[in-house]
Amino acid sequence: MRRPAGAVSLAVAAAAAVGLVVVYLALGGASYEPAGVADPCASRAWREPSGTAESIEQVVLSTADGTACSLGASREELILALRSGDSLSAFAREHGISDDEVEEAVRAGLLRAVDDAEQADAIDAAVAGLLRGAAERLPISLVLDLIRGASSLLP
Amino acid sequence: MGRRRLQSALVGLAIGVVLADSSVVTLALPDILARFDVEVPTVAWVLTSFNLLLALTAVPAAYAARRRPKAAFAAGTLVFAGASILCALAPAFAVLVAGRCVQAVGGALVVCAALDLLLAVLGSDARAAATWAAAGVLGAALGPAVGGVLTQLAGWESIFLAQAPLALATLAGLAGLGAVAAVPGDVGRPHVAANAALLLVSGALAAALFLLVILLVNGWRLEPAVAGLVVTVMPAAAIVAGRLAPRVGGPVVRAATGAILIGGGLAALAFLPHAGVAWTVPPQILVGAGLGLALSALTEHALAGRSPQAVHGGWTIASRHAGVVLGLLLLTPIFTASLDRNQDEALAAATAAVLDSKVPPLDKLRLAQDVLAEVDRAEGRVPDVGPAFAERVEGESGDEYRGLWAEIEDQLDRAATNAFSSSFLVSSLLALAALVPIGLSRGEVGV
Repeated sequence: MRRPAGAVSLAVAAAAAVGLVVVYLALGGASYEPAGVADPCASRAWREPSGTAESIEQVVLSTADGTACSLGASREELILALRSGDSLSAFAREHGISDDEVEEAVRAGLLRAVDDAEQADAIDAAVAGLLRGAAERLPISLVLDLIRGASSLLP
Repeated sequence: MGRRRLQSALVGLAIGVVLADSSVVTLALPDILARFDVEVPTVAWVLTSFNLLLALTAVPAAYAARRRPKAAFAAGTLVFAGASILCALAPAFAVLVAGRCVQAVGGALVVCAALDLLLAVLGSDARAAATWAAAGVLGAALGPAVGGVLTQLAGWESIFLAQAPLALATLAGLAGLGAVAAVPGDVGRPHVAANAALLLVSGALAAALFLLVILLVNGWRLEPAVAGLVVTVMPAAAIVAGRLAPRVGGPVVRAATGAILIGGGLAALAFLPHAGVAWTVPPQILVGAGLGLALSALTEHALAGRSPQAVHGGWTIASRHAGVVLGLLLLTPIFTASLDRNQDEALAAATAAVLDSKVPPLDKLRLAQDVLAEVDRAEGRVPDVGPAFAERVEGESGDEYRGLWAEIEDQLDRAATNAFSSSFLVSSLLALAALVPIGLSRGEVGV
């Protein structure tokens, strides 16, 4: 018995529609996940620095980790927040933190960087002690200005 | 070409020009936003105002056009052309939106009067309705493509400047046309089910026509002209499907087949496996074929056996453009919120990629700042990070920079593509929801 043309049309349309969606799903159409960012509170392994540049890099990254961990944010959020005064204010509002808390967090970050460097044998105990003292006393506005303007200090 | 064919072609052109206006400025929105320095939700009113006014004035315009179709067509054309010039020369955003509102009022007169003119030219209700519906479908489907090419070649103002002479040229269609008498008799109630289905299908098509071009331009950073050419797949498929329509079945079957194809195509757009133009082609073919079948079938179905045609045509225009407004108002906040969220996540991932990369350590902070400068320059659109890498890939560690560049672009592209998923999925549901009134319409006159 021949099927009516209407039923055939509907069946073909449904097959095309469902078929295309199934193929796209099979090819990963629903698999989007943003690339994750690392937990800033977890210890980050130091690479063997091959020069001053890499040592500075690792200190900066450890500082960012430590600061972000104290603020309950990711290192990447913190870096994005430091691009301008507006973005830093928005970051502070979003995380409900005051200027004093930012200062405390940056100091915690600096101390974390010193700890990481000492554990990796990049600095000895005496230098670590000196750096800890500086991290606890350095004016925080100077630290933030240095971070924001860091690129202009680079060669 | 015979005189009657020329007249019907000119009247059809007028319908196409007016209904293309519901989507023609989609690709021009970023330029308009920059010209008038307004926010994204504000610039959307260039689209929304036209569709809203067309929906509100279509039925009153149809009543007016019913009495003197030729005069209504001529008056509507003059108003539409004048308002188009006003839009092109608008010194302020408010003037542009006001011009769009006036365009819609003139356009409503043109489109509704055109149905009676086509009846006078072609001598048959069915042929007039089919020509009228097909011209409207083609106009709406071609709008984004034409607008994209014009915007790229000569700026957004050229869209409106081109419309004015084109609209005025269609007045030649009135020459040699004898007096078109008003259709006597009472106006029956509109075909509720067919018009409800038109509303839902049009809401879904708003996603296909608007969201896809926004994904191509703002998400994947294609030039407007290229994006315009990419979306011509839809009108091309609509034309082919329109040719095959008689073999598909009666109006109800064609409408249901079209709604299923649109729903499937939009769902496939929600699940694109990768960011790339080629992946949009199969879904566009389904959506275009569905558009060619459903809109024409539902319009003809809504008009079949009803008189006067112009008034019932007005109801179909009101339903279609109310659907477009519904689609815009429903879907825009969904994709805007998703885009913001995904962009934040992608930026964090891109920053992580820079910090963890093996590019020279002392350049990392500077590179991160250059990438973020491109983000700020993009003003909410998905950024093109290429300028931050252009010189770096030529120097030492070029391979490291190239790898990082590709990784960041992949993150941004996939985040932008995913941001549109929910909106496409909701619009797919709108298309499939139209199956309910389509099924109910079998019980109404004209099946």
